[in-house]
Amino acid sequence: MEGFVAKQVHDYQNGKISRRRLVEILTFAATTAYAGKGALGAEQSGLDAALVNHVSYTCPDFRRAADWYSMVFNLDQVGASARDVALPFGKRGEKPYGVTDDDVPLTHMICRTRPLDASAGNGPPRRKANAVIDHIAFTVADFDRERAKAQLAAVGVKNVRDGGPFSVYVDDPFGYEVQIAGLGVTAICGAEARATCSDTR
Amino acid sequence: MERVIADLVQSLDSGRIDRREFCKAVALAAAVYGAGDAAQAQAQRGFKIIGVNHLSYTCPDYTKARDWYTSVLNMKSEPTRDDGKRANLMFGPEPGKGGSFLVTRNPGNVASGSAGAKPGAEAVIDHICYTIPNWDEARVRATLKAKGLDVTGRDGSLHVYDPFDYDVQIASAAAENAFRR
Repeated sequence: MEGFVAKQVHDYQNGKISRRRLVEILTFAATTAYAGKGALGAEQSGLDAALVNHVSYTCPDFRRAADWYSMVFNLDQVGASARDVALPFGKRGEKPYGVTDDDVPLTHMICRTRPLDASAGNGPPRRKANAVIDHIAFTVADFDRERAKAQLAAVGVKNVRDGGPFSVYVDDPFGYEVQIAGLGVTAICGAEARATCSDTR
Repeated sequence: MERVIADLVQSLDSGRIDRREFCKAVALAAAVYGAGDAAQAQAQRGFKIIGVNHLSYTCPDYTKARDWYTSVLNMKSEPTRDDGKRANLMFGPEPGKGGSFLVTRNPGNVASGSAGAKPGAEAVIDHICYTIPNWDEARVRATLKAKGLDVTGRDGSLHVYDPFDYDVQIASAAAENAFRR
């Protein structure tokens, strides 16, 4: 970043770019440098999955599930119907963490009660999958394992298991496994490897 | 941010700071901007959810799933974590900065502490929807068709099946947004 800034300043001081242009360039660079995506990302071909838009969670009682997730993760419930409700990961107008694009909305979870073969996208009944998402992990801010266990105990969540030093596992009211982790648990350094991983992010 | 940088340029021009200080200040401003959300999050009580860290996807052959998700959704397989039984497929922001990953794994390959796939669970995640930015209906449909996929759904919100008949939804921000349901 500093090298890039130095070059722009050099160009500015040598009259190659105007002051206004300098401010524009540096503003753009500063607001995208830490978003993980800049102009370089535009070269990809095909469909670029930017983020999980939503997780569709189906269970026998969506209200009970929604209340549990709201309680544990401080999530609001919006757009409730007779069979589902959405739980956005933030407030209206907020951007997802690490995202600067305007057309990437907050991830949300939809808790619903419906048949498992309900139509997928107005098509025929959903096929029976030969694969399963056996657990989902959520990133939470300022994760500390012992504090997390205490917080979970305080809201009545039982059967909390350590997932290495940097995450915990719990079961939701329908026995679905949920992992809670910090930002440092990544594709490069999983929760188990985190302690010895050379990646220091 | 623009106001901050404009003030710094003015300071540079007036000689209040030198070029070296200017460069450091801009770099610091960018870092603070990037960390702003985290700082706000820490002020709240309880868990402040940032996003989906990962999805653990168990299937009969993780390589088929790995190849499909990297091909169709441009996910990037982390080479150091592909051990012949599983792979970590990254997408979104950088790892550690809000990025997510999909773990494709063979049956029986579970993480420490995880119970793995539980037949007794009464809930399922029946599909995942991914946001595609800069949505172009014709381009998206053409890309999926070129991959040999059958597409259902409506404009801006499409469904396809992966190699194990798992329902995958892809959508634009306009079509799928919690606050516009």
